[in-house]
Amino acid sequence: MSTQLKPSTPKRKLIGMGQISVEAAPECLHSVLGSCIGLVLYHPRLHVAALGHIVLPVSAGRSGSPGKFADTALPHMLNLLGQRGANRAGLKAKITGGSEMFGKPGPLKIGAANTEAVTTALEAAGIPLIASHVGGNKGRRVCFDCATEQLIIEIIGQEKEVI
Amino acid sequence: MSGTALDIETRQKRLYSLFSTATREASEAMSRWTGGDVSLTLDEVQEISLDEITEQLELQEELLTMVVLSIEEEVGGELILTFDDINGRRLAASLIGRQPDFEQAWSALETSALCETGNILGCAYLNALAESVGIDLIPSPPQFIQDYGASVLQQALLTQAMVTDDIMIARTGFTRGEQELDWSVFFIPTVPAREAFETMLVAAPEAKSTT
Repeated sequence: MSTQLKPSTPKRKLIGMGQISVEAAPECLHSVLGSCIGLVLYHPRLHVAALGHIVLPVSAGRSGSPGKFADTALPHMLNLLGQRGANRAGLKAKITGGSEMFGKPGPLKIGAANTEAVTTALEAAGIPLIASHVGGNKGRRVCFDCATEQLIIEIIGQEKEVI
Repeated sequence: MSGTALDIETRQKRLYSLFSTATREASEAMSRWTGGDVSLTLDEVQEISLDEITEQLELQEELLTMVVLSIEEEVGGELILTFDDINGRRLAASLIGRQPDFEQAWSALETSALCETGNILGCAYLNALAESVGIDLIPSPPQFIQDYGASVLQQALLTQAMVTDDIMIARTGFTRGEQELDWSVFFIPTVPAREAFETMLVAAPEAKSTT
């Protein structure tokens, strides 16, 4: 079913900009993304996962919540998952988001920059990127189901996608 | 952000006065455009933590119809008009003298009417702001967008997010007579624009009372 424009949607807790959340099955992780990247790290055997809502590619010494930057979000997510018994060796990743939402693309092209920063960080950490759904010029409402490992992506005017 | 000698209360009063002036100009323009039907009132000017912004602005999973005007200079920002789809459609249809047909997609004429609405009140708002602060704020042509409000907001506040986690945003609401409408105007300045505001706030005489 394509995403229709509706006057209201049920309120639920969304992972906001720069935030990271960890959940286990049967819970889901929710967010709404534009130029930001939603990075999911999940453990297929333990059914525990973290979703980071990453805003910018590099911290470069700037202050901010750990989830705000790709280079600080990943280590923090690994730490949180490790506290839940999900060690790095068993983790897999999925990413989504990274759109250019409106206006003329500036020199930064933040959506693409975020995407590159996250994929580079995953590669450096040795975590396999199983699926990605990035780019374009539309927002995404996303839900990661910790039980099924499905990342469900809704874009206005398009059929729901599952990766 | 650069520090000033103002205490918090004085700074907030002057900031509110600054944006109230812009809202008043936009309201007069909107009222003329809609034949006296719709007006604007400044809701708030505040600094909101980055991770709470979509929740506090109530832009979480809402699909909205929006008109975006970008001021693409260094001293600039984004002006975003948001409408619930049904009433945005009704406004556009009334402006072109037709009944809205909710079974059909937005027509080019309806889209154009809504964009022109954004252009008129957006330019009035930005001209007033620019005059008060002594800067230029020249927007791009309006862009019609239907999408998650939170997604659009993410890009709009990026220049601020690069240097701070406290995002300055001004929100203005709409009323039709006594009825509050589910529409908003958000202005999100760039960092250099915020600094221009701060300079002006320090130099300004005591704020006059605002309505």
